[in-house]
Amino acid sequence: MSDSALSRVNLFDSRADHASVAVESPLAYSLQRSGAPAPSAASRVVLREQAFLGHLILRGGAIVLDEALREVLDTGLPGRPNTLSWDASGERSIQWLSPDEWLLIVPGGEAFAVERRLRERLADASFAIVDVSGGQTLLTLEGEAVPELLMKSVVYDVDPSHFAVGKGVNTVFAKATAIVRRSGETRWELVVRRSFADYCYRWLLDAGEEYAIGVER
Amino acid sequence: MNQQVQRLAQGGRIDRSRPLGFTFNGQTYQGYHGDTLASALLANGVDIVNRSFKYSRPRGIVAAGAEEPNAVVQLGASEAAQVPNVRATQQALYDGLVARSTNGWPSVQKDLMGLVGKVGGKFMPPGFYYKTFMAPASMWMTYEKYIRKSAGLGRSPAEADPDIYDHLNRHCEVLVIGAGPAGLAAALAAARSGVRVILADEQEEMGGSLLDSRESLDGKPAAEWAAEVLDELSGLANVTLLPRTTANGYHDHNFVTLHERRTEHLADSAPRTAQGARQSRARMHRVRAGQVILATGAHERPLVYAGNDVPGNLVAGAVSTYIRRYGVVPGNKLVLSVSNDYAYRAALDWHDAGREVVAIVDAREAPDGDLVGAARERGIRVITGSAVIEAKGANRVSAARVAKIDIDGFRVAGPAETLACDCVASSGGYSPVIHLASHTGARPTWNDDILGFVPTLVDGVLASGAAHGIYALGEVLADGVAVGSRAAAATRGEAAEIALPACQAISESPACALYQVPHEKPTLRAPKQFVDLQNDVTAAAIELATREGFESIEHVKRYTAMGFGTDQGKLGNINGMAIAARCLERTIPEVGTTVFRPNYTPVTFGAIVGRHCGALFDPERYTALHQWHVENGAEFEDVGQWKRPWYYPRKQGGKQESMHEAVARECRAVREGVGILDASTLGKIDIQGPDAREFLARIYTNKWEKLAVGKCRYGLMCKDDGMVTDDGVTSCLADNHFVMTTTTGGAAAILEWLELWHQTEWPELDVTFTSVTDHWATMTVTGPKSRALLAELTDDIDLDRDSFKFMDWREGTVAGVPARVFRISFTGELTFEINVQAHYAMHVWKALFEHGKKYDLTPYGTETMHVLRAEKGFIIVGQDTDGSVTPEDLGMQWCVGYDKPFSWIGKRALTRSDTARSDRKQLVGLRPKDPKVVLEEGAQIVFDPNHAIPMPMVGHVTSSYYSPTLDSGFALAVVKGGQQRMGESVYLPMADGSVHEAEITSTIFIDPKGERQHV
Repeated sequence: MSDSALSRVNLFDSRADHASVAVESPLAYSLQRSGAPAPSAASRVVLREQAFLGHLILRGGAIVLDEALREVLDTGLPGRPNTLSWDASGERSIQWLSPDEWLLIVPGGEAFAVERRLRERLADASFAIVDVSGGQTLLTLEGEAVPELLMKSVVYDVDPSHFAVGKGVNTVFAKATAIVRRSGETRWELVVRRSFADYCYRWLLDAGEEYAIGVER
Repeated sequence: MNQQVQRLAQGGRIDRSRPLGFTFNGQTYQGYHGDTLASALLANGVDIVNRSFKYSRPRGIVAAGAEEPNAVVQLGASEAAQVPNVRATQQALYDGLVARSTNGWPSVQKDLMGLVGKVGGKFMPPGFYYKTFMAPASMWMTYEKYIRKSAGLGRSPAEADPDIYDHLNRHCEVLVIGAGPAGLAAALAAARSGVRVILADEQEEMGGSLLDSRESLDGKPAAEWAAEVLDELSGLANVTLLPRTTANGYHDHNFVTLHERRTEHLADSAPRTAQGARQSRARMHRVRAGQVILATGAHERPLVYAGNDVPGNLVAGAVSTYIRRYGVVPGNKLVLSVSNDYAYRAALDWHDAGREVVAIVDAREAPDGDLVGAARERGIRVITGSAVIEAKGANRVSAARVAKIDIDGFRVAGPAETLACDCVASSGGYSPVIHLASHTGARPTWNDDILGFVPTLVDGVLASGAAHGIYALGEVLADGVAVGSRAAAATRGEAAEIALPACQAISESPACALYQVPHEKPTLRAPKQFVDLQNDVTAAAIELATREGFESIEHVKRYTAMGFGTDQGKLGNINGMAIAARCLERTIPEVGTTVFRPNYTPVTFGAIVGRHCGALFDPERYTALHQWHVENGAEFEDVGQWKRPWYYPRKQGGKQESMHEAVARECRAVREGVGILDASTLGKIDIQGPDAREFLARIYTNKWEKLAVGKCRYGLMCKDDGMVTDDGVTSCLADNHFVMTTTTGGAAAILEWLELWHQTEWPELDVTFTSVTDHWATMTVTGPKSRALLAELTDDIDLDRDSFKFMDWREGTVAGVPARVFRISFTGELTFEINVQAHYAMHVWKALFEHGKKYDLTPYGTETMHVLRAEKGFIIVGQDTDGSVTPEDLGMQWCVGYDKPFSWIGKRALTRSDTARSDRKQLVGLRPKDPKVVLEEGAQIVFDPNHAIPMPMVGHVTSSYYSPTLDSGFALAVVKGGQQRMGESVYLPMADGSVHEAEITSTIFIDPKGERQHV
């Protein structure tokens, strides 16, 4: 390889990283229009948007991707379907999406560098990496009522006794779709598409009213 | 009026220290906490609760549960809170409850309707609807008004529902439906095994028949055992108890819909929670269960005898329930007519309450079970081999006529004796509640031992207790444990020990099969013997139906309307089948049963809708620029689920532009200056892999082998039937890397289409597809001044016409943001499509407007986009095509690679004789002769307007607009053989009689050589 392999795709850093450029998260409009109830002691669910993270879709064979990831991020692919793994810092996660598809989420600003290093490492292997950072956002839901809130929203079995920490699925959310992940005992994550984010947010506020849902900003 | 005249001083499960006021038909009454509306009405001596559907006969409460056919009320104090079709027997009493009869016009107490009803009855023999529809149909409108007014079963509220509703998706290993003895035992067995258990019960209190049982368990009242079990279950983390929750629908794959009434026992409208939050009034639990246990019990069948609908006729078990559970005796003097032992407990309970039991009339010659003995011991008169053949009375039972009967001969065998009484209770046996099992499509099986249908069970469903014909309490409990254990084991539960409570066996003599009781007169002449009280179907009606040739029970049901009411004939259907069987000289299993369908009881629409209403009815997809569009007054159009700006009306001199004016202005801006469109909704698919180019060549109709890096190409996509399904521009980003755009509405389906072909047909191709629709925001800057504007915002993209040509793309920065810019045009003008990561879209958009002031940069919406593209003859898939249009029909042979080496999708279909014929509907342009005319989209086209009607229709208008550039209406249309008819006139006859004339033209109305987009 390897300059030739790199040249066969258009490696493009779509991130504008300087202060003069205003940036808006997928929930920017929703937070303004629908409001964000402040979390209180009564809040049994607290929502927070983890905006501007790097989201990369990885396609390819598990073995080569796993090796490349171990080298680049010091953490490999999750071992089983419908699960995710984190690196030691907990800031980077890799989630199984389908037999040849994973979602890698890294801190904002890292996506392009990670993509480049993975591409260099993977060289002529059969794989694809696509940056979708602008197209989706990560919401965390924390609190004891999260499972019930999710039961109102998704058909998947989210009973904590059947949805272990480290599990993640792509499923129907209300009338949209979302990725649902459990990242801690009482901490869950949703990955929603940008264009559906407002709908999902309004749904969560409405369904969460019963649990005095609060939104951290 | 007298307070609660029928209430016992003690007994029952009501709380006499908590009186509750309520209103029924404008009268105020008092009941107690723990009452149902029905028990409170009976306590107050209210005999008549409705007028009947067809004959307007007075009707009283008959049953005590979901099977009640008469006491169907309209609930709600305010207009917004109106709820129709509530069974008073299932409605908990609360303070301030307001209810009305659903069918009492003008008043249930007055007999005004009696006359009308009698007349109406003559009008309405069985088959009335069919006969009326057959001749003369025009009269139906006249009848209907009166029939509806007198026959309505409730009305919907005229105001918006103030309550909220929701759904909860649940999963469990074992779902137990019914919390009577069988259900409790089954739930306990399953729960102790450790699997997740949901126990749902439709009543206010769990316990079922144990709550009014005369029997004891472990020497204590049976209800105490129920309380102990419930106490244990409620303490287990793996158990969910759902009281007030009806299993209404049993769907495929053990998916069961439960309807929980969460606050309907508290008030009209759901009260706020302690924290002040709204709570849902009703909730649909969508349960996916490993195993489902039907412990739904049995419904008692009343006997069918003359006058059996006069208030004061009840089913025997309901009498016991009202006395033992609610401390209410529904009368003073009881005559009990039975075919079995178990029903004797009604007389025992009545006697225990200190009221007079006139007689027990038993159809059997020599009953001798324990309960029979108990009745005799008390000195109650037992008349054997007999039945109540007729109940007398108008607004309340006043007497019962009792006679010897010959069941096999279906005749009265001796003289009738008249017994004065005010209540006739009857029992013709028990019917297992098989409704949910029937929802699976499984036909029930007749069991002669229990004289009832038992459910046929599909995989994953078990029945327990009375639901499959096991009635003795001790056996029911044992069956519950066995079935619960079996269900748990099937879902990997651990076997658990269950110690059953001691239960005294009761000896019973066999029941006899009695459904319709004979009368001295033949059925057709006897006083009415009602089978289905809710729909006023009589035994005579069923007999008549069979005489008129209706032999299938499904036909009899539809002809007579038996079981068509909101109660689905829970009380009457089996009796009706038995009568049909008698008339047809067949057995009941030969006649068979009708099919029960969801829902088991009526469900409030709110619970079905859940949260999917109002602003959350359907997802609204927004682009990253949505807020700008809103703030700048855009009108929106729904495209798929997207909200796209339709046009931007300006306010001028305090007056808002019309759509026509706004679109004309936006069109001129693009043709003469510069306009901007938010095109972010277009589907975008990132395609990577060494075989990406080969894949594109197979999926598109045109060629891709020579598309160079940095170039874009329009592509047309067909289904395998050769019909156009999508189009869009695909750009070569690098040798192994493309980005495809699709129509807005087609994005998801096209991604699936690509995956389908890759995964199933061409897995050997090394290529991947990933949606990047949401990642990129797309801003289309178009018009002669677009280059000048863009030049102000980029310093690293060479915009020179010769280095950045039409159908090229370049990368660089726009307004400081990394961007891919595409020179592709949907307007026919010089165009730059700027793509940036969506997070920065608003920044770039605003920067464009800042610099665009001096060019009068004009935002335009989809309507202007449609006009501009139609002027250029650019199709919109789905508007100018409808799944029956080939590339050739569109005149787009230039976009078909006939000689491509691989047989691309749709190629073969284009050589079928049908797709190759020359008179197919082909896309053409139309210019109305009168330029002021804008043809109607969808208008039909004819060649000869003077042809006799029906005129041969030869095509239709697919797109039509007014063009400010042409100052004329113009249209795209499909016309048979149209491509060979350039310059000919066609005609469009309109609904108002006018006929438009139009000339067939090229589809390109402006700039046919495409010079404007190449500048």
